[in-house]
This record gives sequence, C-alpha cells and structure tokens, in this order.
Amino acid sequence: MRARLSDFTTIHPLAPALPRLRRRIETGPSMVTLLYVVATFLVALLLGIGSARYMVERGSPLTTSVAGPWSSWIYEGNPSADLYTKAHLASSGRLPLTSTMARYFLAGTDSQGEPLVSSCEYSISGTPLNARWWSLALYDEGGSIIKNPSGRYSFNSEEAVRRADGTYHVTLARHARPENWLPSGADDQGLVLMLRIYGPRDTDASGTGIIMPASLPAIERQACE
Amino acid sequence: MRVRIPGLFVLLAVVLAGLIHIAAVLALPLLAPKKAYARLVPLGHANTMIQIPATAPGSEIMPMMAPDVRYAFCRFDLTDGPVRLRAAVPDDLWMIAFYTPTGDNFYTIAGADMRRGQIDLVIARADQAVAEAGVDAPEEADDVVVVNSPETDGIAMIRAPLAGPSHGKRAEEALKATYCGAKSR
Repeated sequence: MRARLSDFTTIHPLAPALPRLRRRIETGPSMVTLLYVVATFLVALLLGIGSARYMVERGSPLTTSVAGPWSSWIYEGNPSADLYTKAHLASSGRLPLTSTMARYFLAGTDSQGEPLVSSCEYSISGTPLNARWWSLALYDEGGSIIKNPSGRYSFNSEEAVRRADGTYHVTLARHARPENWLPSGADDQGLVLMLRIYGPRDTDASGTGIIMPASLPAIERQACE
Repeated sequence: MRVRIPGLFVLLAVVLAGLIHIAAVLALPLLAPKKAYARLVPLGHANTMIQIPATAPGSEIMPMMAPDVRYAFCRFDLTDGPVRLRAAVPDDLWMIAFYTPTGDNFYTIAGADMRRGQIDLVIARADQAVAEAGVDAPEEADDVVVVNSPETDGIAMIRAPLAGPSHGKRAEEALKATYCGAKSR
C-alpha cells in the first residue's frame, strides 16, 4: 500500500507547509528557477575563466611589476613561483632564466600608453643598465622577430652606439635612421619590445635582480604614416 | 527569515566562479600545449647537445628568443644514471641554466663564476650515486660540479650572448664543442 503525503500531515511539525510543497511537486520546478540556475552557471563560468585568463596573461600586482610601458613577471622561472606565474610561464612557451640571474621587461605600448604599431616611428632612450649584459629586441605580437633587409633585430649593451653622456637612443622605424635603427618591417602590425637584462648587479634580500624603474628606457612616439 | 532567491544565486555564482578560477589556473600548466619543453623535445634525442640555429624570422623554436644570443641545450634523462655536461666557456657572458620539464629554473651557472673557463659537471638525481670507483680519477673529482636535479628529465640550456653581430660564428663553434652525454666518457 502506498503512503500518501496527506497521511503525515497530522504528525509532522512542518505540516502547515505541506500543501504548498505538494503544489510544487505537482507542477515541477518553475521555469524561473531553472533560468536562475543556468544563468548562475554561465556567470560563474565567465567570471571564473575570465579572471583566471586575465591574471595569467596580463598579470596582477602580486605577480608583475609595472614601470611606465614596461611590465615584468617577478618570479618567472623561479621553482617556488606562485601558481599564476607558473601558469603564465607554461602558456608563454618561453624558457626564461629565474629573476636572480636575469630580468625580462615587456612593452606593448609607448610611454603614453598607446599600442606600439609598425606604421609609427618611436624614439627609445635610456641610461645604461647596471647589469653584465642587456639587450633590447623587437618582436611581432606572436613573439617572432621581424624580417628586414639589414638583419637587425636587437641592440645590446655591447653594440648600441652611445652618446657622450652614456645614454643610448634607439629609433624604431620602418626606414633607415641614423644612430641605432631597429627596423619595424614592411607589414602593418602591432609590436612588442623586450628588454632582457642578464646578471643584474643590484639585488634584493632574496637575490632577485633589481632594476630601477627610472633606468628603463622611455618610448616616445614620433611621426606616423 | 527568508533568503531572497536572486541573492542566493549571486552568492552561488561568486563561490562557483572562485572555484572555476582556481581550477583554471591549476589546469593551465598541465593543459598548455606549447610549453617550452614540448617545443624542444622534437629537436633531437635525449642526453646529447643540440644547437638551436640562429634565431630567424618566423622559424623560432620558442617565442621571444633573443636574436643576439646563441643557444644550445641538452635534454637530460637520468633513467640510466647521471649525465655529464662539459664545456669550454670562452667568455664570462655564458650561462648554463637547468630546468625541470615545467620550466622551473632550479640551477644556473654564470660564466663569470667558472674557474679557468672550463665547466665539467654531472647532473644527477639526489638519490643517484655520482662517484663510481674507477670512473672518475680522484684529482678530477674535485673539479666536478654536481647538479642535483629534482626530476628524472629536464633541460640544460647554454646561452651565449653575443657582443656584436660578428660574434655569432665564434659562439656557434664554441657551442658545437660542448658535450652532454653518458657520465663515463
């Protein structure tokens, strides 16, 4: 014999609520509730994956240091790095030296925050860096060096022409320029600059190389095509 | 007191988003298809020194490689015992960096720190005996640096930064003369 809900109404403390519950069971979950559940999952998925992607690709104050147009993942390559840095490293496909041996600074914009593009000319100027060796290299947005007839892809501490006061000036341009010319190639595309600094001489207590923000070069946009 | 239903769902969405966020960050290193290690493995066998050709537009092994650094690497596999790495280091700028397959740079030697420009080292897991009777001459053993690898596999990457465009050939020849392989040689 099947027990019916009404059999319990006299003994159960929640008895007054039962008629409402029975109505619910008979009509099934409302459409509104179902919509709420679906929306909750979609919002959670979007928020969860979106925030994870942002913090892994772009970084956050926990993982990256930012100085003007330059940003650097502080613990990249470090075996005791946080999970965001490790995830960033894995998806970058790079094999960087840990920050006690080298520091890497990336710039995808000029000093005013405008994206670097090959149709514009840029003047990059800085003071010598306190390190064993450094190099300023130009890439497309995929991280590939840019084809050019003079086969010039970077300037390093040994080869960059310096002025009498010790400063160096690199011109990022499509066509040949005097002093240090870094060719930006014939294609119209976004550009990325990487400043790699091997053997920084100033270190903090943990041995991480310190590069003063003021010693990073300024990137000033000149004429555009 | 009743919790209003939209409020409950907002709370649920935030908690769920947090869990998904953590799961995504944890899963990314495991799922990333183009990790540096996966890019280097197809270039050759384990326990041998492999030179990476000078960086050329469009044919880079890894993104953002330095155009003014020459690279050579040894993918070591310690299954059959420790692996030896030897190099005559021509200048102070060279660096030999050791990585786990996930890219942890667990040890690095800078050229400036090497004695007499010669580096002779043995890569071994912590549980592997390095000194074997009759293999290492006693006087040689003093100079051998032992690098303890946390994992059985890994990468030893030599970087030779160039002082100028004309230095490429010389660096490539010096890298060619380096050795990585069975410990007994």
